Amino acid sequence: MTTMVSVKDVTKIYKRGAEELKVLDSLSLDVPEGEFVALMGPSGSGKTTLLNLIAGIDQPTSGGVFVGGKNIAVLSEGELAKWRSHSVGFIFQFYNLIPVLSAVENVELPLLLTNLNKKERRERALTALKVVGLADRSSHYPRQLSGGQEQRVAIARAVVTDPQVLVADEPTGDLDAKSAEEILQLMETLNRDFKKTIVMVTHDPRAAERAHVQRHLEKGVLQLR
Amino acid sequence: MKYLPFVLKHLRRNWVRTGSTVVAMAVCIFLLCTLRSVLAEVDGMLAASSASRLVTRHSVSLTFNLPLAYEARIQSVPGVKRVAKTAWFGGSLPAKKEGQADGDSDSTTDWSNFFNNMAVDVETYFAMYPELVIPPDQWQSFKETRMGCVIGSKLAKKFNWKVGDKFFLESFIPPYRRRSGPFEFVVSGIYDADSAKFPGTDVSSMYFHYEYLKEGVAPRDVGVGTFMVEINDGNQAASMGKTIDALFENSSATSITETEQAFKASFIAMAGNLAFLLNGIGLAVAFTILLVTANTMSMAVRERRTEIGVLKTLGFSSAHVMGFVVGEALLLGVLGGALGVFGSQALLIGISNTPGIADILAGIGLSGLELKPDVATLGFFIAVVLGLFAGLVPALSAYRARITDILRTV
Repeated sequence: MTTMVSVKDVTKIYKRGAEELKVLDSLSLDVPEGEFVALMGPSGSGKTTLLNLIAGIDQPTSGGVFVGGKNIAVLSEGELAKWRSHSVGFIFQFYNLIPVLSAVENVELPLLLTNLNKKERRERALTALKVVGLADRSSHYPRQLSGGQEQRVAIARAVVTDPQVLVADEPTGDLDAKSAEEILQLMETLNRDFKKTIVMVTHDPRAAERAHVQRHLEKGVLQLR
Repeated sequence: MKYLPFVLKHLRRNWVRTGSTVVAMAVCIFLLCTLRSVLAEVDGMLAASSASRLVTRHSVSLTFNLPLAYEARIQSVPGVKRVAKTAWFGGSLPAKKEGQADGDSDSTTDWSNFFNNMAVDVETYFAMYPELVIPPDQWQSFKETRMGCVIGSKLAKKFNWKVGDKFFLESFIPPYRRRSGPFEFVVSGIYDADSAKFPGTDVSSMYFHYEYLKEGVAPRDVGVGTFMVEINDGNQAASMGKTIDALFENSSATSITETEQAFKASFIAMAGNLAFLLNGIGLAVAFTILLVTANTMSMAVRERRTEIGVLKTLGFSSAHVMGFVVGEALLLGVLGGALGVFGSQALLIGISNTPGIADILAGIGLSGLELKPDVATLGFFIAVVLGLFAGLVPALSAYRARITDILRTV
């Protein structure tokens, strides 16, 4: 099985004035293609920072981050934005849907960066909504949806460009147990049926159990368990 | 264009705020366009003046008349081609119906139909103004009819007056009022002007015989409001003016002689430095609106920080996000500008057709008040520029915002 995500000897240091805070310390991690990995650890352990590096929304102080064989740690901000638009789907804890856009318009948003015409964009967005089981709610606005439904729309938005990797930061953290279960089932489906590589940060052991592999971070270092 | 619906949706997010900002912008452009239109009309009026025409008036004020005897002395100055006596009559239509004047000097004045009317030396005055065109037969009739007058085509259209019609005018200036009641006039001719050749020429005034006025108020001495002086060489205007004024230096009625353009400008300046005042108001309002719109955009961006982070996470570049913010601000400018320009157009059309206001404006020579295309374009352009500048700082803030910083504060 080929490696989809490879984090090599990555160190991340945040500077706050004269103070330096080492969040990740020479960390290395390989995620094979089609894998579902859960990153766990206490607050401040660096799991979200690691997720941000894999998603290309932050860059390491040193080391390399390879996704699909490409070292994204050396890309410029503009190149990273372009790469993110087609290579990675991000699922947030608080869904972060745009409130003035309907469900289908939210899902369609990343497709504005493609060369697809309006009709094609709309068709793809509807297909993505169908995958997450919300085709009948396409014209609803976020305020008209439940938390679980909003997260499903967010997942549809993450997968609509058919990215190689999905990264999820506490995707069930703001949901009740029933909705969380639905979201986890959906992520399993995406992993199993659509062969998406998923890296998920979670505090919830029940959520982590749904992943194939669990990795634990403490003080910026991966723990062997 | 594919981003336009996205930008529009954001503008509709808080329609009260968007609406009030658009209205504020519209008021700014409305004021700007209206004030500029007034200035443009004043400029047009001044531009219609000839350099070879001088105006001699009392040095104290226009409300003081000069002695009749000055005419011959001015005429004797070498370089003077012709001199015409004029008196601004200040007449308005009596409220009572035409033909029913009964000599009651207390008849009520109808200010709502006020227009500019002047007593002039007909032969010499019209010889100085070749831009005022009267059909030959009407001109002949005018010269021969003591109570005859010529009226501008705009005035004729307004009152539906035709050659041969009669009407009464009563002056609000006491020396020009007579015991026997309002002056009666008969329309001898209707003058016009070639607006292409002589832009800004007033065609909403009325001229009548100076002698008729003089006889009407006899035995009182009517005096002369201004002497219009045509000179042979327009380049000598300044020195000619000084020479004329020197004639009356030691008299009880000293004079000021200036070019027609300077005279009109000083007449308008009686209301203060109009251009400075109007431009100052416009500038202050524009600056205020810039701050209002910038504040609106800053608030809009501040409350959408998370969305900016999300957009960047989805792959939108910083330039894209900056473009959305600038686009929103520009749209506010475009909407406000369009509304302001249309508002100004509506007001100017309205006051140009409102009895009373239009007549007062015509009385001071502002009969052609309208929103000119260049003023409308300028107003719209300023609105767009205001929008652009207002959006620039928040857009830069959105451009610079780092995803991790934004999402960390969520």
